Amino acid sequence: MIQKLVNILLVEDDEVDVMNVKRAFSKNNIKNDLFVAGNGVEALDMLRNSIVPLPRIIILDINMPKMNGIEFLKELREDESLKNISVFVMTTSNEDSDKINAYNLNVAGYILKPLSFEKFISSVATLKDFWSLCEM
Amino acid sequence: MESEKKCQEELTALKKEYEDFVYIVSHDIKTPMRAIVNIATWIEDDLGPNVDQDILDNFSLLKNRVGRLENMMNALLELSHANRTKMELFEVSIPKLVNDCIAMLSDKTNIEFHTSYNLIDEKCITLGKKLEKVIYSLLDNAVRFHDKEKKNVSIEIVENETDYEIVIGDDGPGIPEEVKDKIFSVFYTVNSKDVVDSTGAGLTICEKIIKMVGGTIEYTPGLNGGSVFKFNWPKAITINN
Repeated sequence: MIQKLVNILLVEDDEVDVMNVKRAFSKNNIKNDLFVAGNGVEALDMLRNSIVPLPRIIILDINMPKMNGIEFLKELREDESLKNISVFVMTTSNEDSDKINAYNLNVAGYILKPLSFEKFISSVATLKDFWSLCEM
Repeated sequence: MESEKKCQEELTALKKEYEDFVYIVSHDIKTPMRAIVNIATWIEDDLGPNVDQDILDNFSLLKNRVGRLENMMNALLELSHANRTKMELFEVSIPKLVNDCIAMLSDKTNIEFHTSYNLIDEKCITLGKKLEKVIYSLLDNAVRFHDKEKKNVSIEIVENETDYEIVIGDDGPGIPEEVKDKIFSVFYTVNSKDVVDSTGAGLTICEKIIKMVGGTIEYTPGLNGGSVFKFNWPKAITINN
């Protein structure tokens, strides 16, 4: 059986961080389709209008304009058709309140963005192993 | 009396504003800072394998310095939050807390720890995470800046009527007389940061915590060289935030 590759929605407002994820994907030979939304509003829009096809997971930043990561998560979990999506938070925020809020909103993991690109590549590789193992 | 109260209120508000400012600035600077490291890594990567050693050395310097900047930003964050986070009062066993701090030290080779306690009750209710932070930082300094193969670090805790007197000493290089007034300033390091990688914020954070609980900290040179840090930690702590 050929497993269908999950589609990844990256919710991230910083251009360099988006490039970083793209580079880390290519370094890790990750072939999953990557969709990018610049904030929570845009992300909800892309999910509701099926721009990101099933199966899908979300990599989410916290500090973003318009609708931040936590506000986005709240709306996602209240939406019947979206509430079961796996979300991985990837952020610079080391705030306890952000961590608690995120886990309360049922995230699959909370990862601090490392400073070095090498470490980032290995974090992304670990993520990939994890979501490949998960049943969607 | 009325104007004094007003001044006090203004001071509290200003302090809060300052701390918020430090927090937001140090937090928001992290994103562009990480971008610098990342872009440098990409350029290095894209240059391929045939690159002058000079260029590679400069890339590594660039990344090292941004790494240092990140450590400083994290230290500022910690400093601005020292009296706001991890403020739970809970029961600790003092000898256990000291042992935990020793266990957390990353490098314990060739160090002998000498502990001595004179306690009426081993247990006390206090800001456990804060006391741990102070003791850990002082032990970490004693070890990190030590210049000899064999190291001795002593921890002495005496319980008085109203406070604990905690003395942490080592037989390392000590602190030169002429700079001993500067060691509690943020980012101050006795040696160049190229010699011992350190942010120079540890003692500043310790002092802030100790002042917050109503204690004092002082440095005195050890009898046979080395450093001695002595602080008192009140038994009854009131949090007025």
